[in-house]
Amino acid sequence: MRNNKSVEQHLTRRGWALPLVWGALLLVGVLGMPYMEGVFRWMEADARQVIYNRAEFYTLLARHLLVVGVAALVTISVGVLAGIAVTRQRGRDFLPLVGQLASLGQTFPPVAVLALAVPVLGFGTLPIIVALMLYGLLPIVRNTLVGLQDVNADIKQAALAMGMTPWQILRRVELPLAAPVILAGVRTSVTINIATAALGATVGASNLGDPIIAGIVNGNMAYVLQGALLIALLALTVDSAFDVYQQRLRTRLSAS
Amino acid sequence: MIELSHVSKHFGEETAVDDITLRIAKGKFCALVGTSGCGKSTTLRMINRLIEHSAGEITLDGQLIENYDPVKLRRRIGYVIQSTGLFPHWTVARNIGLVPRLLKWSGEDVTSRVSELMNLLGLPVAEFAHKYPHQLSGGQAQRVGVARALAADPDILLMDEPFGALDPITREKLQDELAKLQARMHKTVVFVTHDMDEALKLADHLVVMRDGGIVQQGTPLALLQHPADPFVESLLGGLERGLKQAALTRIKDHMSSLGPTLPAQSRIPGDFSLRQALSMMLRDHSDRLTVVDQQDVPIGELSLRKIVKEAQLDKG
Repeated sequence: MRNNKSVEQHLTRRGWALPLVWGALLLVGVLGMPYMEGVFRWMEADARQVIYNRAEFYTLLARHLLVVGVAALVTISVGVLAGIAVTRQRGRDFLPLVGQLASLGQTFPPVAVLALAVPVLGFGTLPIIVALMLYGLLPIVRNTLVGLQDVNADIKQAALAMGMTPWQILRRVELPLAAPVILAGVRTSVTINIATAALGATVGASNLGDPIIAGIVNGNMAYVLQGALLIALLALTVDSAFDVYQQRLRTRLSAS
Repeated sequence: MIELSHVSKHFGEETAVDDITLRIAKGKFCALVGTSGCGKSTTLRMINRLIEHSAGEITLDGQLIENYDPVKLRRRIGYVIQSTGLFPHWTVARNIGLVPRLLKWSGEDVTSRVSELMNLLGLPVAEFAHKYPHQLSGGQAQRVGVARALAADPDILLMDEPFGALDPITREKLQDELAKLQARMHKTVVFVTHDMDEALKLADHLVVMRDGGIVQQGTPLALLQHPADPFVESLLGGLERGLKQAALTRIKDHMSSLGPTLPAQSRIPGDFSLRQALSMMLRDHSDRLTVVDQQDVPIGELSLRKIVKEAQLDKG
């Protein structure tokens, strides 16, 4: 037993290493970018500026995180609640409808959502949040549905037979058992949206997409690379952190 | 006491349970036996309202079950199923303490009740309390299932083929333990099984079901002596019926007093069954056995002729 435990601890300690490395690299990138002129000068020898300087990188990062975070909060609440609602007895009729609506959200290109949202919501952060919400809903809804439906029927029946109320069964049995699958959906949704959020720069939502758009407009590949690099590092940091968390959940529920 | 009176259950066009009437007295062990799909599990689940009956009346202690709040009703009725239905993300101790915690017992009461039950079911607390269900063998998991069902000390215990998935040795061991527990606790038990030997071994009252209806019910001995039709007889083992009946008969009730002849070499305790006595006679090539008490003191003797004669008498 003790042996097992130390192996577990060892695994988790090793588990956090990766997100920490990516996070550190991201931090180095964000804070150290202004001092890397030498590196980028090599790419764009003739440009007047090789380091994007219309805003600080940490400001861009913070705004990027804000947009993704707000969108994620809304999609998780809406997606998980919808998934729960249509797996209850009373909501079962809406199950196919919700599945289709979520799929529709993802088949609709975010760029098109932006184009349609700007006239209504104006330029800025709001249209991109709406686009990310629609785009990120499907993985969460789908995984919530699968996760809840996959909970062993005998376990649910035993819970009911022991005298648990439907709410207690949901809270203490179904959601904890579906958690790893739901989390996988959240992970997919958030990771995709970190990349997609860069589009916000085209409608005036300033974030890590700014250097990319500015670079494309001005023909400055150094800008593009700086934005892309930081977005990739952010995505890797968040994704690997989710990975560790998922592993832990799975270890706790192993062989269920 | 559980009473079902002209109870039926329809699923759409299909009739799962067809007009059954059944009375289970307090403290009795009732086994529902039949082939799969005969409605025995449905009958069981109607008692704790996992399935609502379509017609007839079901009463608990004289009260219609519709008058109970289903959640409160279920907390008063223990329930054990073949696949255990243990929560995989909870430890053994937490699984067992589920119903007491639902009933808002204090933390100390739950803890002491859980350890009491774990000891009762042969699960040492130090070794098992913090294990998760996937770390248990089939037999251990089912013990936890039984402990969970008994946790809030319910009067009624519903068991749906609880030992059906276990290997024969573990199954027999758990049957013996259940019989011992029942002798101490006197719960009202409704036990569903397709294993007639299991039913004969455990039940006070045997109910044979087929196609949603009750074919015959009575004590195990009564059914063995007078099976209602060929179906019941085949369930009871056909040619083996005699032996099954012998298995339910204790030596003590059929021995004769010690005669003037020398006592036989082979000794057998009086609590054993006639079936075991027959087996010993075959093994030892002897048509006489000396019956002894728990201190190995001879208290009587048993002869093959007498057993055969008694069996004939019972039949008449």
